[in-house]
Amino acid sequence: MNASARVLQATDLAVGFGDVPVLEGVHFGLEPQKLIAVVGASGAGKSTLLRGLSGLLPPLAGSVALAPQTDPGTRAWSMVFQAPRLLPWRRVRANVELGLEGLGLSATERRLRAERYLQQVELLEYADRWPHMLSGGQQQRIGLARALAVEPRVLFMDEPFSALDAITRRRLQQGLVQLRQRTPAAIVFVTHDIEEAVLLSDRVLVLGKERAGPATVQADLPVDLPLDDRRNAPGFRSMIQDVESMIRTTPHPADTAATESQVIEGDPPRSHG
Amino acid sequence: MSQRQRLLASATGLTAFLLIWELVLRSGLLPGTLVPLPSSIPLVLVAEIRDGVWQAMVVSSFRHYAIGMALGSSLGVVVGVAAALLPLFNALHAWLARLLRPIPPLAWIPFAIIWFGITPTAAAFIISIGVFWINYFASYSAVQAIDPGLDEVAAAFGQDRVDRRLFKVTLPAAAPGILGGLRAGLGQGWMTVVAAELFGITGIGQRMMEASSLLATDIVVVYMLTIAALYAVIDALFVVLQRRLLRWQPQ
Repeated sequence: MNASARVLQATDLAVGFGDVPVLEGVHFGLEPQKLIAVVGASGAGKSTLLRGLSGLLPPLAGSVALAPQTDPGTRAWSMVFQAPRLLPWRRVRANVELGLEGLGLSATERRLRAERYLQQVELLEYADRWPHMLSGGQQQRIGLARALAVEPRVLFMDEPFSALDAITRRRLQQGLVQLRQRTPAAIVFVTHDIEEAVLLSDRVLVLGKERAGPATVQADLPVDLPLDDRRNAPGFRSMIQDVESMIRTTPHPADTAATESQVIEGDPPRSHG
Repeated sequence: MSQRQRLLASATGLTAFLLIWELVLRSGLLPGTLVPLPSSIPLVLVAEIRDGVWQAMVVSSFRHYAIGMALGSSLGVVVGVAAALLPLFNALHAWLARLLRPIPPLAWIPFAIIWFGITPTAAAFIISIGVFWINYFASYSAVQAIDPGLDEVAAAFGQDRVDRRLFKVTLPAAAPGILGGLRAGLGQGWMTVVAAELFGITGIGQRMMEASSLLATDIVVVYMLTIAALYAVIDALFVVLQRRLLRWQPQ
């Protein structure tokens, strides 16, 4: 692996809130167009890791190197959240343009760019609607278009499909497989769904902890399966079992049970709307 | 109940009320010095308008109201939003706010007179106080209640510079609460406008005091209804504006 080609490199990274680390000793690199899935029990710091990698949370120790964005009108990274988190007072189009503001693009350039990515998530005809008029799955696709529109070198995805119904989730997973062939971005994909992790990724990073205290990387497993029709590839099921066994050896079942319901709950309630 | 039936019932109720009032007075059950005949009100209104008194009083009161509203609302929103965003500022003035908050606007009348005399400024000052507190608390809670996830969106999409976050996330997200405060202030303002004028500043309140000292209860009622009508018009206009600004909300 050529380290200089990496768009993301975490070196002995520790992240947390205040000065309490949730996660420590994270060490991995990512090349363009690769997708690394991050799995682990609830409370293992999956979402915290994304915040640390993106710089939304400053590192408590170690460092993160993100390739700088050199093309004008783009950003080094962007993020898709678990809840769509669209700005309800902006029409769909203006939501997709959010990250393009302040990049020196003209209004026309922003508009064309937003339309291109709305087209890509097949929701261009919804451009002039308000977010509340869209279904949860559609809103999540707008969130994806918003993140893609800044043409990031690294795309962070924080359990993006977990709040969706099974059918929509399948469709969006399929869409992501196709998207990967079109975008040069590297993707860090957090999920609690091991099957989803194995289905979509080139590598699976397992987070967990042996005892109370910060979690760390338990395993970094390559997924050597064809991306097309991976579900039916020989070795798909056994790979899932391999990852599952890695997580099972992580103790703290009480932690897991206590926090699992938070994952299912989905969006925090909004004060407005 | 259909909307039409509701309208009909409401109109019936009001008509019956006026009719009973009229009959009670005409039959002599109540002396005519206590309240005027409802049927006499329209003529009194016409007389007040013909003399130009009504217009002068309405314009004068409206000026006090508008200045007091503008001052109290803008300061209330700015201080409320700032308090919610800046923890140090919030802590600095928290006790002061708690101390001043329970003082009713009318308790400021002595100071208003000492500072500004019997002037329109004094009336506007008193009006602005009540309006300030309503907007202060409405804006403060509206900003406090913003989903922190939206701030994270701003940060993730390069909009975290203070001014961008304020105009692209904080203010739009707090808009429903802030507009609710403004609307409540519009009502509160009319209540204080009359009281602020009772001590002699030209306006509806002063005219009502004058009329009551002459036992001209019909004139008092004319201005009571004037206040109600003005408030209804302003409130209706504001609701139109509010709907327009919040058209992104699901109805």
